[in-house]
Amino acid sequence: MNSGGKKYFAGIDAGSRTTKVVLLNGDSSFVSAIRPTGLNVGETAEKVLAEALVAASAQTHDIQRIVGTGYGRVSLSCADTTVTELSCHALGANCISPDIRMVIDIGGQDSKVIHLDQDGNMVDFIMNDKCAAGTGKFLEMVARTLEMDMDNLSDIHFKGERPCQINSMCVVFVESEIISLIARGESAADIVSGVNHAFANRIGNMAKRLGLKQQCVLTGGVAKNRGLKDALTMYLRTSLTPLGIDPQLNGALGAAVLAQRLSH
Amino acid sequence: MVLAVTETIQDVHNDFALSLEMAKEGGQKVVGCLCSYSPTELILAAGAIPVGLCGSTQEPITKAEEILSPDQCPKVKATYGRAVAGTCPIFPLADCVIAETTCDGRKKMYELLEREVPMSIMDLPQKPETPAALNHWIEEVRQTKSFLEQQLGVTITDDDLRSAIVMGNKRRKLITDLYYCRIHNPGPINGLEFINTMSKLQYYTDFDQHIATLEKFYSELQQLIEEKHYAHSADQPRILWTGLGNSLGCSKVLELVEECGGVVVCQEGCGGLTRSEDQIVLGENEDPIVAIAKRYLRVTCACMTPNSQRFDDLERLCREFKIDGVIDLAWQFCQPFEIESYRVKELVKDKLGLPFLHVVTDYSQSDTEQLRIRVEGFMERIATRKKYADRRL
Ligand code: SF4
Ligand code: SF4
Repeated sequence: MNSGGKKYFAGIDAGSRTTKVVLLNGDSSFVSAIRPTGLNVGETAEKVLAEALVAASAQTHDIQRIVGTGYGRVSLSCADTTVTELSCHALGANCISPDIRMVIDIGGQDSKVIHLDQDGNMVDFIMNDKCAAGTGKFLEMVARTLEMDMDNLSDIHFKGERPCQINSMCVVFVESEIISLIARGESAADIVSGVNHAFANRIGNMAKRLGLKQQCVLTGGVAKNRGLKDALTMYLRTSLTPLGIDPQLNGALGAAVLAQRLSH
Repeated sequence: MVLAVTETIQDVHNDFALSLEMAKEGGQKVVGCLCSYSPTELILAAGAIPVGLCGSTQEPITKAEEILSPDQCPKVKATYGRAVAGTCPIFPLADCVIAETTCDGRKKMYELLEREVPMSIMDLPQKPETPAALNHWIEEVRQTKSFLEQQLGVTITDDDLRSAIVMGNKRRKLITDLYYCRIHNPGPINGLEFINTMSKLQYYTDFDQHIATLEKFYSELQQLIEEKHYAHSADQPRILWTGLGNSLGCSKVLELVEECGGVVVCQEGCGGLTRSEDQIVLGENEDPIVAIAKRYLRVTCACMTPNSQRFDDLERLCREFKIDGVIDLAWQFCQPFEIESYRVKELVKDKLGLPFLHVVTDYSQSDTEQLRIRVEGFMERIATRKKYADRRL
């Protein structure tokens, strides 16, 4: 299809925490940009989109179509179409490898498990209930209680020798549980690896409730936590397919793929 | 025009309370029911007005939480709240109330509710298929009959019961016909409008007038179908609703479904078709109490075990109404429906191969945006499935 040089397809994922933009080139290479969503979803999205355009040395008129997704998708006035991040995660993963059948996405405020087919269609999903247990928010709370940054939850995990048993998955109660573990003299490494294991069980059970599939990817900011990844692999007894891209970008990539598909 | 209920549940309650007060001034008695297991024929036979008193709104919950812990399902809290918050205009008009030991939350809440109003709490056997269950339940129905006689100062004869059975059956038949109007695709009415109308029509003070209104509603729907005045198009996803949350006041998820392009064409369970299509069959020379007891023990609530009839019904309705997807809603902290949902999923997803969405929520609006993602995702899933089915044709 000749569209007068409009060779880019844009995906905007306006998440509760961060806004991500992927600009997909007709030849399947892409550039991306990312920044905190903040209070004004529409404005942030436009800024991130502009950043991505700079990175691609392209102009607004080079974009053929924009698909918006994420919590803030309704505020994206620049989008031609909006779809849920459930469908976008499926499309993103499919773009990375058509063999992928399951996406586990752990976002800032929710987590979800998605099944997809060989064409990237989302065929089923499950999401966490109302509360923030089992979301990125929980790990943030843990990091804050331990006065660490999120990256440390990854590094220190592997130094844990006897992971603590963590009982509370509640964002509010885990703080006091951790404080009493510290008071008992447990090491930070054992606490962190305990937390990662408890968290992995919670997410793993969600995946089991939907039905386990081989060829699974982990996405969302939390996927950068290698400790959690390790714990999840152990719990599910399956290996996670390496994503090959920044795991936060998967949804925006899927949106860009959809923009491209809709243009053909 | 019966159609188009634009009033809120509060308006409906206020209007109804007025006509109820008038009926009471005319010497009529009012009996509250809290659940589908309440044998309303006993109330009709006593010449009293049956009134549903189940709580379906958020507003009395705060008051209820002064006494009940917050970790109860919203239904239990709202029902109790209606009695104690002093804001429900209908509750104080009930002379007495019939209730059953269904789930634990209700059962234990009734111990407190009993302080507010005279109650007959019927012991509901929970393995209804066992022979002993029926005998026990028959005795419970008999006792409730005596309770009503005492409370209302009347005598209920077998003839009274027989004519009440005829009345109840007539009403259920009409309601069933109304539900079946929606088998037409495209259909004459959207789910939300239908549910609002049905929620409103469940309140009546004069039985004959009630029947006349139902008949009028039915002919309105028939006329719409004949004149091809459709409320939705033939290609909108047809949703079957099961579990809870399909009545005026607590229908936020249902509203979302129709906002996102679906149409709820069939409801199974309380507030739905399966509560009306099952009739009382009175055998020749059969004791009417026994016939009534048999019918009410067949109600397919998740508090029963193994509750297999619910699954047969679901399967049949999915086929009859040409369903594209099933939504199963459980209120937060509702163990029976929450656990039974696994079997609903096995049936819908694994056996029938239909998209299935299980939703857990409460009466508040705080999670609307989170729910919207699930509902939209579900619609996207149905759309893909339809696209592929069309390609195969
Ligand atoms: S769902 Fe069960 S407990 Fe609730 S009203 Fe219906 S029959 Fe009664
Ligand atoms: S059956 Fe469930 S929703 Fe109904 S009252 Fe009991 S716990 Fe609440």
